[in-house]
Amino acid sequence: MPQQILLQTQKLCKTFSNGGTQQHVLKNIDLELYPGDFTVIMGASGAGKSTLLYALSGMDTPTLGAITFGNQTISDLSQDELAVFRRNHCGFVFQQIYLIDGMSVMDNVLCAGLLIHKDKKALVSKAKQLFEAVGISEDMWKKFPTQISGGEAQRVGIVRALINSPEILFADEPTGALNSKTGIDVLDTLTKFNEQGQSVVMVTHDMRSARRGNRILYLKDGAILGECDLGKYAHGDTKRHEKLSAFLKNMGW
Amino acid sequence: MKKVLIIARSNMRKAKGQNGAIVVLILVAAILLNLWLMLSMDYKTNFDRYHDQLNAEHVTLAVDDSDGSSFEFLSEMLASDAEVKEYRLDQCMHMVGTFPYNGGMMNGEFIFMDKQTATTRSIGKSEIVEDGNLTSGIYLPMLYQSDDFSVGKTIEMSIGSHSVTYTICGFFNSVMMGSHNCALTEIILTADKYAELERLHYAPQTTLCSVRLKDKSVNLTYEAKLKTIVSEHFPNTRMASNCYDIVSQSRYISQGICSVIMSVMALFVLLIALVVIVSNIINYIQVNMKNLGALKAVGYTSRQLICSLLLQFLGLTLMMALVGAGVSYALFPAINTMMIAQTGIPYTIHFLPLPMFISLFILGGAVALFVWLSARRIKKIEPIVALRSGIQTHNFKRNHILLEQTKTSLHVALALKTTLSGVKHNITVGITMLVLSLVVVFSGLMTENVIADMTPFLNLIVGETADSAINVQVEAEENFLAVLKLDNRTEKAYLYSSLNVSHVGGAELMVTLCDDFSKVNNQNVVFKGRFPKYDNEIAIAAKYAKEKGFAIGDEIKITANGHTENYLISGFTQITNNLGRDCLLTRQGYERLGELTNVTYYINLAEGTNIDNFNEEMKNHFQDSVNAVINVLATIEGAGSVYVSLMTIIVVAILVLSIVIITFVLYLLVRTMLTNKQRDYGILKSLGFTTRQLILQTALSFMPMIILSTIVGLVISCFAINPLMSLFLSTMGIVKCTFHIPFVFVSIAGIFLILIPFGITCLLSLKIKKIAPRALLIGE
Repeated sequence: MPQQILLQTQKLCKTFSNGGTQQHVLKNIDLELYPGDFTVIMGASGAGKSTLLYALSGMDTPTLGAITFGNQTISDLSQDELAVFRRNHCGFVFQQIYLIDGMSVMDNVLCAGLLIHKDKKALVSKAKQLFEAVGISEDMWKKFPTQISGGEAQRVGIVRALINSPEILFADEPTGALNSKTGIDVLDTLTKFNEQGQSVVMVTHDMRSARRGNRILYLKDGAILGECDLGKYAHGDTKRHEKLSAFLKNMGW
Repeated sequence: MKKVLIIARSNMRKAKGQNGAIVVLILVAAILLNLWLMLSMDYKTNFDRYHDQLNAEHVTLAVDDSDGSSFEFLSEMLASDAEVKEYRLDQCMHMVGTFPYNGGMMNGEFIFMDKQTATTRSIGKSEIVEDGNLTSGIYLPMLYQSDDFSVGKTIEMSIGSHSVTYTICGFFNSVMMGSHNCALTEIILTADKYAELERLHYAPQTTLCSVRLKDKSVNLTYEAKLKTIVSEHFPNTRMASNCYDIVSQSRYISQGICSVIMSVMALFVLLIALVVIVSNIINYIQVNMKNLGALKAVGYTSRQLICSLLLQFLGLTLMMALVGAGVSYALFPAINTMMIAQTGIPYTIHFLPLPMFISLFILGGAVALFVWLSARRIKKIEPIVALRSGIQTHNFKRNHILLEQTKTSLHVALALKTTLSGVKHNITVGITMLVLSLVVVFSGLMTENVIADMTPFLNLIVGETADSAINVQVEAEENFLAVLKLDNRTEKAYLYSSLNVSHVGGAELMVTLCDDFSKVNNQNVVFKGRFPKYDNEIAIAAKYAKEKGFAIGDEIKITANGHTENYLISGFTQITNNLGRDCLLTRQGYERLGELTNVTYYINLAEGTNIDNFNEEMKNHFQDSVNAVINVLATIEGAGSVYVSLMTIIVVAILVLSIVIITFVLYLLVRTMLTNKQRDYGILKSLGFTTRQLILQTALSFMPMIILSTIVGLVISCFAINPLMSLFLSTMGIVKCTFHIPFVFVSIAGIFLILIPFGITCLLSLKIKKIAPRALLIGE
């Protein structure tokens, strides 16, 4: 039985125009994402990894090609339809965290959740569960983002991304702005949710982060150069690291 | 200085939109300020310019005199009077009369003079401003120049109870007798027509006494003194008079109203501009905290940074004040035309440096002060704190409207969060809406009480209105009343005669007599105390009572016809007819001072009665016993339509101005909000909020303050508008305004005052569409 496809791209292209110069950032990308996968997109700076993530997540529209989510072609949607798509199917974890400074930690999470949930009581209960799951204690719920650490803020960001139980969680360099200790905490959190069945697509250029994924895509000059299957993540699995190193070396990393 | 200039220039370049809106507000304030100063400082002095130029009189008295005896008496008396600088006596004719004016009727005391005398008199000369050089006809005061009345056309006028038709030869400017609100209206006739009128005996011969005083400030008391002396020597002689103070004020009522409204509007717009500037600076400091820290870190002093803001806003202000002064000169001809239609005195527009410098000083000074006050906080910014975007170790922010607990919908809750966290925006919105609420209530008040139905305004200005007024000889009074009683068209008739008396040691007062004040239509004339009931009671103008320190119950000594009597003050009146120098007496009360030779009856006619036909019938029935018939409604309409058109223009102008102000204020606030919250909008979009939802949130975030301040503003304005109007009209003798508050208009306008900003905010928030969530990820 063929594996179910969560999201699919066909001949996906993205071109930026800058002062008359055209820059082809993504070139004819054909890609399939599967449920439950922890997909990692790697590549050098300027390879087009973030652009691919924006396009896959409906944050940006492709210049050419199609993106299909289930039976829905999202590449044809208007901006407002894309917003509805994002709220219903996607979660986002940003490198710069991007919590709203004027709202408390709890409100940052609820403002995303209340967009689609009518049962506020159940939503608050779910938020509390998620906070507990990521290690955000109750005394922090009423604090503002500027009053908590970067690692804590990123974990709040993960809770916000997961509050609507998205089919895919998109993470753009989630540890990029964190120190190594808090970075590991965040990766552990993402791994934990993936182990519970959450599909994750993460962009990173950090090998330590990348080895959390089971599927590694390597992007070069706007095209997928290669793919590596690392299998299910296990803590302290040294062979996994060697396999990833070999793959990346092979890709010219 | 160069460094400061560089920062100022960079600030201006970065905030073109905000500066544009501030420029518009300052420009509007500058235009209004300059127009106000031009009107209040120079326009009224125009009266004095012409008064001097035409060597006009300070006191004018017309004494009906068929045998010439008063001529001789006055000549001797004035020659020996130490207060008189120069005087002139002319023989002319004097009679009440009417002619069509402004869709109604002009009714007044006409002084008929022949052209030669009128234009060559050494005192009170009339200046011909348009002459068709026709040999036979009439010259009218230039106030009455219109499409209906122009050179070559004919005018039908009534003189007493007679009708005459003249060809209009031209128009003239007379300072003291050139309008219906001068108490005397000069009519110039060519020599043949003057001789013809003399032959017809339609108007009695009169000695016109023109006096210039050594000290013009005593003109009011001198007028009273002169009339007292004349009435002592010639009891029961018909007289009419005016004086400098009354005429100079009454001819400039519209100018005064316009000037006050412009001053209030100018100050309101300036206040709004200042609030917006302060809000802008505070926001600038917040947004540019890092830059300010960096500049301080590299050695810029707080003073230099404050100076850059001062330079930026002061530069814009002074530039706009100059442009505003220029624009006000472009607008002034239209205002001048409007004013001349009321003053009837020509005004030549010329450059006035003083108003321009004063408006530059007011605008520059106010902006400099407020910029300095709001920019002072730059001094407190430490570079290291600024570089952390102003984040202190402690955060005292409050999380308003907890989403976990609130019962409201998500979008309303998020909008409320924005509202409650934006104190500066709320203050700006609040002040703007409070001001606009007052403007709306004022517009409603004027629409209901002047434009739509003039009655409340007329009750205040004119005092009493009826359908018809008929002046009859006392001998015919009984018969006249008997006829009226039998005529089923007559609903009500009551004595309502106006004469003049003098307050001993005070001024000349216009006295209105009534046989029974409970019959008068306007029971609000006496606003404190009550109407006089007995022959020893008097109600006097509140303004005059205040000037002289009278209270209800005090005694006042009144003289007329050579008799002096004491009266008890029973109440205070407010009528602007004689600019607050009037009183009310019962008929018996007046007859203690002398006999009446003629009486005027005010008549209310049955619905549908043709007033002119009724008057004509009465005139024909009583022939020479009727001195004058007046269509009161038409007369009032004629005089009032000037105010109606003026008020219509003012109301439309201030409503348009209000929309401009609110648009620019909201533009500034929305733009600032979009700049400040661009990151938040990006985040919310990435989370799945649609553009429409964010626009709605933005517009809703302004609504609590708009709704609250509009409601508070409208309620306060409804309570405050009548006292404020009394204050504005106090120079006209009004102490207590009782205009109807147009609650329906105010309610509907209030709804619009809320809906229009909502619509404007939604439109201005359309920019949110351009905020892409992708920009977040690439750090745009």
